[in-house]
Amino acid sequence: MSLGLRFIILLIVALGAGVHAPGKAAARDNVARLGIQLEPPGLDPTIGAAAAIREVTFHTIFEGLVRQGPKGEILPWLATDWRISPDGLSYIFNLRPGVRFHDGAPFDADAVKFSLDRARAANSKNAQRQAFSLIDDVRVIDPGQVEIILKRRFSGLLAVLSYGDAAMVAPLSAEANNTKPVGTGPFQFDSWRRGDSIHLDRAPLYWGPMPHLAGITFKVIGDSQAAYAAIESGEIDGFPAFPAPELVERLVKDPRFVVHTGPGQGKTILALNNAKAPFDNLTVRQAFSHAINRTALIEGAMFGFGAPIGSHYGPLDEGYIDLTGTYPFDLPQAKALLAKAGIQPGLSLRLALPPTTYARRSGEMIAAQLAAIGIKVRIEQLEWAVWLDQVFTRHDFDMTIVAHVEPLDYEIYGRSTYYFGYQNAHYRDLLAAVDQAVDSTTRRVGLAEIQQVLARDAVNVYLFQLPSLGVFRANLKDIWHPTPLRSLDLDRARLDDAMDRPEQAQTSGPKVTWPVGTLALGLVLAGLIFIARRQLSPRQIVDRLGILALTMLGASIAIFLLVQIAPGDPARQILGMGADIQAVDALRREMGLDQPAWHRAITWIAGMMQGDFGISYAYRVPVIDLVIERIGLSGPLALMAMVLSLGFALILALAASAWPDHLRGRIIDRLVHLISLIMVAIPNFYVGMILVLVLALQFGLVPAGGFPGWDAGMIPAMQALFLPALALAIPQAGLLARILREELRRVNASDFIRTARAKGLTRYRIMFSHALPNAGLTVLTILGLQFSYLLAGTILIENVFALPGLGRLAFQAVGQRDLPLLQSLSALLVFAVVVISFIIDLLARVIDPRLQSRQIT
Amino acid sequence: MTAPAITPGEMIRAAALPHALIIGACLLGAIIIIALISLVWQPFDPNGMDLGARLIRPDLIHLFGTDSYGRDVLAQTMAAARPALFVPLASIGLAMIIGVPMGLWAALSGPWADHGLMRLSDVIFAFPALLTAMLLAASLGPGMLGAILAIGLFNIPVFARVARSAARREMQLDYVAAARALGLGRWGLAISHLLPNIADGLIVQAAIQASLALVADVGLAYIGLGVQPPHPSWGRMLADAQTLYLDAPWLVLAPGGAVLIGVLALTLLADGIRQYLSDTHQGVRK
Repeated sequence: MSLGLRFIILLIVALGAGVHAPGKAAARDNVARLGIQLEPPGLDPTIGAAAAIREVTFHTIFEGLVRQGPKGEILPWLATDWRISPDGLSYIFNLRPGVRFHDGAPFDADAVKFSLDRARAANSKNAQRQAFSLIDDVRVIDPGQVEIILKRRFSGLLAVLSYGDAAMVAPLSAEANNTKPVGTGPFQFDSWRRGDSIHLDRAPLYWGPMPHLAGITFKVIGDSQAAYAAIESGEIDGFPAFPAPELVERLVKDPRFVVHTGPGQGKTILALNNAKAPFDNLTVRQAFSHAINRTALIEGAMFGFGAPIGSHYGPLDEGYIDLTGTYPFDLPQAKALLAKAGIQPGLSLRLALPPTTYARRSGEMIAAQLAAIGIKVRIEQLEWAVWLDQVFTRHDFDMTIVAHVEPLDYEIYGRSTYYFGYQNAHYRDLLAAVDQAVDSTTRRVGLAEIQQVLARDAVNVYLFQLPSLGVFRANLKDIWHPTPLRSLDLDRARLDDAMDRPEQAQTSGPKVTWPVGTLALGLVLAGLIFIARRQLSPRQIVDRLGILALTMLGASIAIFLLVQIAPGDPARQILGMGADIQAVDALRREMGLDQPAWHRAITWIAGMMQGDFGISYAYRVPVIDLVIERIGLSGPLALMAMVLSLGFALILALAASAWPDHLRGRIIDRLVHLISLIMVAIPNFYVGMILVLVLALQFGLVPAGGFPGWDAGMIPAMQALFLPALALAIPQAGLLARILREELRRVNASDFIRTARAKGLTRYRIMFSHALPNAGLTVLTILGLQFSYLLAGTILIENVFALPGLGRLAFQAVGQRDLPLLQSLSALLVFAVVVISFIIDLLARVIDPRLQSRQIT
Repeated sequence: MTAPAITPGEMIRAAALPHALIIGACLLGAIIIIALISLVWQPFDPNGMDLGARLIRPDLIHLFGTDSYGRDVLAQTMAAARPALFVPLASIGLAMIIGVPMGLWAALSGPWADHGLMRLSDVIFAFPALLTAMLLAASLGPGMLGAILAIGLFNIPVFARVARSAARREMQLDYVAAARALGLGRWGLAISHLLPNIADGLIVQAAIQASLALVADVGLAYIGLGVQPPHPSWGRMLADAQTLYLDAPWLVLAPGGAVLIGVLALTLLADGIRQYLSDTHQGVRK
């Protein structure tokens, strides 16, 4: 066993032994920990359409006037009952008495009027603004009774009122809902550790039966493998929308878990650009519909989960009819239709894919299936911002695959400017007829006709309904009650093995971290200033600071330009596909995106000079808060990884060059060389995955992922960082060991070492007092370069370990075109790099006195 | 010719090529040959899907098994060798063409140019390559070009720094002063004296960076940048396998092994070249 290996094992045992017991937590608190793949950008479902917002806040924090039952039937909620006038223009709701918001404010007719007026206002950012704009007036009859008056008959009103977009908010607290939501639901907002978790507590003022759970923690885990690791190791109790269908089979077999499956909320379609050739031709679209084998697609892309659809309509939606047989899979027919349309085999078409697993897997399948009818498919995997810009906004595409998650959104086929470019006046008449329907029978007839037209016209190739896959630990009971809008039922869910603690245990231990961190930082700074004073003249220090400022300015401008050039609109990103264009514009104005680019650049730079780093577009909180939260993780992580990599590298390099003249030494040297080569050759995210698998899942020595925060205490936090630091350190250590080994060899071969040896110094003496310090200079330079890489180049590692670090924050910021955040991050990183290279210059002078005589650069 | 036949072994010994160089060259050669073979012959269509033959264990028909779409892993690994060779080559070439002159210039010019260049390299270096790649891909469209540019850009400061520090070390030596005294201009000095003398270090660095570029390419493919499907890439194969390797470990074997061999080949090659160069230098001196 090599020394390095022994050291690794020792370290792991020392860190992991006995202290960490995942998932066992004997007297665990009554809090359900649920994984979510996407972090919601905000917590107000009425100003953002992201499904993640609804998943976390709707039915938990917020409630609406009405809700949907398992079959989509409308049930009472905050309204106990309602009366619709014969002409369908007036809805009178009786409100549930005695309901209070979490802050104690009463829920009454005024709150209803406020909520609906806010949603339909001219500057509303509500994604369903278009539907709400059909409301002519909201009239308060008395505190317990409210009347909605429509401009024209709209039979879908109650369905819209059951959406998260129609959540009831309080006049006084609504403005802050995005960061501090206040609703009437069974749970109230407690805290949000951005990038990591959102915690809700049972609401003591709740009007209904008290929920069994004392609280819910939503943990953000983006990566499929990390999701599996988290549930397998017991870090979380469930994953309501489990991202990896390929692993479900494994989990089903495991008695510790319960897997729920069912139709989900997304109609997945192969959207065709109807506005241009060849898809402006019905025959071609029909050929494509015939060419796709849905059964194989669901099997191959979704591992058998998902239900085929024949129209833009989900099997759970109101008035669904089965039209999957309209254009059955039939290759000869598809080829014949293509020939009839005059399409030559070998036609090349572009398939733009958004960054979701279902789209990417389906895309590869569809490319193969279309190859069978002679269509050449060029796949382009885009990020969301680019997809929204290119496909959704500018309609620059041939085909795309996307799941439409808004319920009953058939009206998008009536929008003349919608991205797939479908134009059919008759269809618009049908839509109007459905809205005007006087009773549910007429409405259902209309809905059936709508589905038939969409199916016959083969506007898009309707693929499948996204599955809803929930994986839960077996002791989390009664959580799954699927409705067309939502599958989770958190007010009835209970944890079998948990007990309410009489008093909410304080999770935050003594807060020693900040003082310690500040003290350490202060000491380092003081040391630096001391060294700098001794080594440099004041003039040189001023020069340095000037250069730092110029570099940061340069970096800011470079990033600004890069983001300007890259396509993407943050406002559209936040509001999603279903959002009304006016809502998007309103949000753009609020963000200041309507200003010209140079104006925004100057505003930002001027702001930064005054210490104001701006407001994040995506999170809508000050950038500085986000960044400071993450430094507390990324700084220590990078430091730990650096220490580990330096330690490994030293051991390897010393072992390699300890016996330069013996055969044994040469064998060890070769071995070390090989080990360090292999260490470099494995991508660090793979090292991470394997470490999770072996050390966390097999042996349970360390947590598989997540970060408890420094509040949880020094030891748990360090444990959580250990595996990621190790994964980061291994490839870096390989690199460093190689360089160190070379340096030691070079130094060992040099004359002064020969002299030292001739003088009779021992081998160790020579190694530590002569060879190592001489190699130190090179090592220092490399370490300096590594640190910046470790600080934010750790995106993939942070994904594998579900860590809320700077890397993932930057990754998100790029994806969401969150310019203020991105700019501040890059400024910070540049700052770090410049400061570190400065420190290394200084240290180099201390180590190598020869440099002191020269001017430092 | 009456001279006795020379065996290849004797030729190698005669040329005194280091073992690392031979092994590295052989491994790299093997990958190049496999990449070339995949142009004319493949065991299966690398994109041919067969749901009936999903996740088959390695056997005599599918030597490395099949993936979750029923595609042959060997055929995919072979076809993926082409972009895997091209991306590091192109990106490191690009980085050297820009970075080395930058470093030399910094070493030769006054302190201000030196400062400016080094801080510019700080700026590039500070921003994670993955994010730069995302922004580039957003502007250029996803594909190999974005990956090459992003990896190349990230490597410019590496070569600038190596060239600069090696050149500065070299400039302290007497022969440079002598050359200067002979009236050689700045760039003349750089091209005829500095460059040949720092070339060893640069070649070694280039091979190391090429191996890192290969690893970086894998990382880019993991988030969907780089070569676009259906053309296979080792990185995407690894990414696709990431949740399946518990049940189908062979999915990792071929692409992972290929990355490992590729990186080893480049690194050994670098070591070998350097060793060879230093041997020859000593030979000349002696």
